[in-house]
Amino acid sequence: MNFKNHIFQVYIILSLSIVISLATNLIRTDSIPLLSKTLEQADNIELDTDEPVLLTISLEQAKEFYEKNTLFLDARDEAYYNKGHIKGALKNIFFMELLFNIESRQSKNKPLVVYCGDPGCGDSEDLAFNLQDAGFTKLYVFKGGWLEWSAANYPSESIK
Amino acid sequence: MIKEYFKGPIVIISRFILGAVFVYASYDKILNPGEFARIIGNYHILPFGIENLLAIILPWVEFFVGIFLILGVMIDGATILVVLMNVVFIFAITQALARGISIECGCFSVTSETGSAIGIKTILRDIGYLFLAYIVYYRKDRKVEYFPKSI
Repeated sequence: MNFKNHIFQVYIILSLSIVISLATNLIRTDSIPLLSKTLEQADNIELDTDEPVLLTISLEQAKEFYEKNTLFLDARDEAYYNKGHIKGALKNIFFMELLFNIESRQSKNKPLVVYCGDPGCGDSEDLAFNLQDAGFTKLYVFKGGWLEWSAANYPSESIK
Repeated sequence: MIKEYFKGPIVIISRFILGAVFVYASYDKILNPGEFARIIGNYHILPFGIENLLAIILPWVEFFVGIFLILGVMIDGATILVVLMNVVFIFAITQALARGISIECGCFSVTSETGSAIGIKTILRDIGYLFLAYIVYYRKDRKVEYFPKSI
């Protein structure tokens, strides 16, 4: 146990942090899973089932939804939304306001497509999970998000 | 050599600044690991799935590094970790900027309504911390240090 060794000190601090952090995460009430779960990809779009869904969709499937007039939700910050978003998409600034906006348009068992910036951002999943908690049952996460949609030149709009 | 000046109050002040910064940075993240995990995910560096693990552990590393720098415990190890973390932060921010993804920094606060965006300033700030760490690591005396006692 040579505590004067710098690298040994690094190991000690790291070990201490790992033990304390995992223990804290174990006992705290708002702990998070050690590894986050990934959503499954939707094979085909079933609009008339009553079963709850929470799946990811591809660009083509998102376009299909768009053509069926499905409501799109933009999970990004307002500044990005204003710069450009999928035509007709609702912005998510205040969650309660968003819930109100959705429910004034459609019931909770109607499909919703959620997206954010690009395939790596987690905001769309977070919003989808929050919507699931709020009782919405048909949620599709469009992983490609604004990046793929805008690259494909699909209908979009911006707020000046 | 510039290192000749790394003694006395300069070293202690550098240590206290670094320590305070790291403890402060850890506080909000320890309280909100879920939010922090989301921000890490937005950086697109880690394979999807393990950002939670990093969001749980990293804030505590920051916390202990900060506390030890202030208390004068295992200063050398803590300083090496400061350097490692800042190099990783600078890399993460640079690649995000280079790829043009505009994201929240998640440096100090993960819950602020406005969010703090990343930018050149963030990188310069981290380089500043690297310099403080350089001063501490190459210090000529070991005042106000309690463990391990040396010299």
